[in-house]
Amino acid sequence: MSAPREETPATSGFVRSYVITGGRTLPSEGELALHALVCLAPGRTLPPGASPEVRAIWDLCAGGYLSVAEVAGHLGLPVGVTRLLLSDLADQGHLLRRAEPPPAQGVPRPILEKVLHGLEALNIG
Amino acid sequence: MTSLFEDPLLWVLLVVLIAAVFAVTRARRTNVQLRASNNTLQGELVTTRGQLTDLQARHSSESSRHASDLEEVRKDAESATKATLKSAVGTLATLAEEQLALLDELQQKYGDHRAFLADLMLVDHTGSQFSRRTKGISVLCGGWLGRRDRDASVYDVARSAQGRIRSFERVRIHSQANVAVSSRAVEPVAMVLAELLDNATKYSAPGSPVEINVQAVPTGICLIVDDAGLGMDQETKARAASLLSAGGAVDITSLGDPPKFGFALSGKLAAHYGFHVSVDAVSPYGGVRAVIRVPESLLTAELPTPEPVALDTSDEDEDEDKPTPIASLVIGQTAGGLPKRRRRRGGAVTVVPSSTPEHGSDEVNAETASRLKAFARGTALGRDSDNTEGPQNQ
Repeated sequence: MSAPREETPATSGFVRSYVITGGRTLPSEGELALHALVCLAPGRTLPPGASPEVRAIWDLCAGGYLSVAEVAGHLGLPVGVTRLLLSDLADQGHLLRRAEPPPAQGVPRPILEKVLHGLEALNIG
Repeated sequence: MTSLFEDPLLWVLLVVLIAAVFAVTRARRTNVQLRASNNTLQGELVTTRGQLTDLQARHSSESSRHASDLEEVRKDAESATKATLKSAVGTLATLAEEQLALLDELQQKYGDHRAFLADLMLVDHTGSQFSRRTKGISVLCGGWLGRRDRDASVYDVARSAQGRIRSFERVRIHSQANVAVSSRAVEPVAMVLAELLDNATKYSAPGSPVEINVQAVPTGICLIVDDAGLGMDQETKARAASLLSAGGAVDITSLGDPPKFGFALSGKLAAHYGFHVSVDAVSPYGGVRAVIRVPESLLTAELPTPEPVALDTSDEDEDEDKPTPIASLVIGQTAGGLPKRRRRRGGAVTVVPSSTPEHGSDEVNAETASRLKAFARGTALGRDSDNTEGPQNQ
């Protein structure tokens, strides 16, 4: 009865993303940008019946600020799905949000060129 | 004397006598002939009877041989049909599986684009249903399900099954029992549960919820599916019971048009993997209560509940080598507040700890670690502030 096919591994994700979101509409990209930082609010307890994903977010965000992209990376979930879960938690007051760090100030070109030359010199040496 | 001769009566008598003698003689002769022919006929009758018996015997042996030949031909046709279908549908099932894996990648790739992601999810949903159908037919024709390489919590098995049916949003899962199904049985249990959910959603009012409850029993666990439909009539129940107990030994051409594979498939998978399916109970809502009983042999030890977050202050380089179970996936304010990334796993997060160590050469790890440290130093300023809600400048 047993054929080699039985041993063929199923490689697709086991729980599909639309089940994790419950088929709900995804929040817009602007709501929690990729670089926005989130952290668990102090003194919160995990809601009963939280899904494994929410529990994982809870653990991840308890230690300090993480970016939305990092949380998604850790969970192995698409960013949009992670964003939905995070915005749920934020709406319930479990998460604190911080805007993304401001972009770096423009550095004058001469300085960059100097650095580049310095690096090239190092590399040759 | 003359008068006597001239008496017509005498002549008449004489004629009558002669006629009588003649008739008797003739009758005797006929009688003898009839006896002879009777004897001949008797003999022939006996012979014919013998031949008839012979013929009857031959006919019955011929007809039984015919029946067995017919049975054989039917079996041959059935197995030929199954072989053709198995091969054809097997190819489709493999393609469907590939497509789902591809959709996983695409959802990661376009995860930040809401409209793309939403559309990909729609495709994913139809793809999952397609995959379930093709896998089901393939299994009934002697093919096999793809095997999962890790155990999955009962909750994830239920969610996976939920994702394989059309009206998945009607399904409510009421338990998160800390029990995992062993990798071997993950896929078959999810398939059977999906078939039961499909029935439950199809044969109940649109919009009415379908519930999954998980109940621990002395011999394992029960996954209970309750719907609020009209229930099944006796005939359907009997058909379901016979298909579920047939162990998959069913003629696929006898499953109706359109064919109903669900119960036959469930029976086959349950028999092969050693769990039990029944659909003969009535749900508290008046519909069908379907139960999958998974024995202890197909379950693994209770899953560890996620531990409370602990600050990780150990050395970064050393930790790079370790497998990182999800419970310890914590951002530590370590050597620079650097989050350690877990290896990506496709799809859902499970709470089963990964047991596969990640091997990498020390040099690579050291290099990675130092690079990450540098990055972390750079972003530390943005992280270690204790400000709570910051402005949302988006």
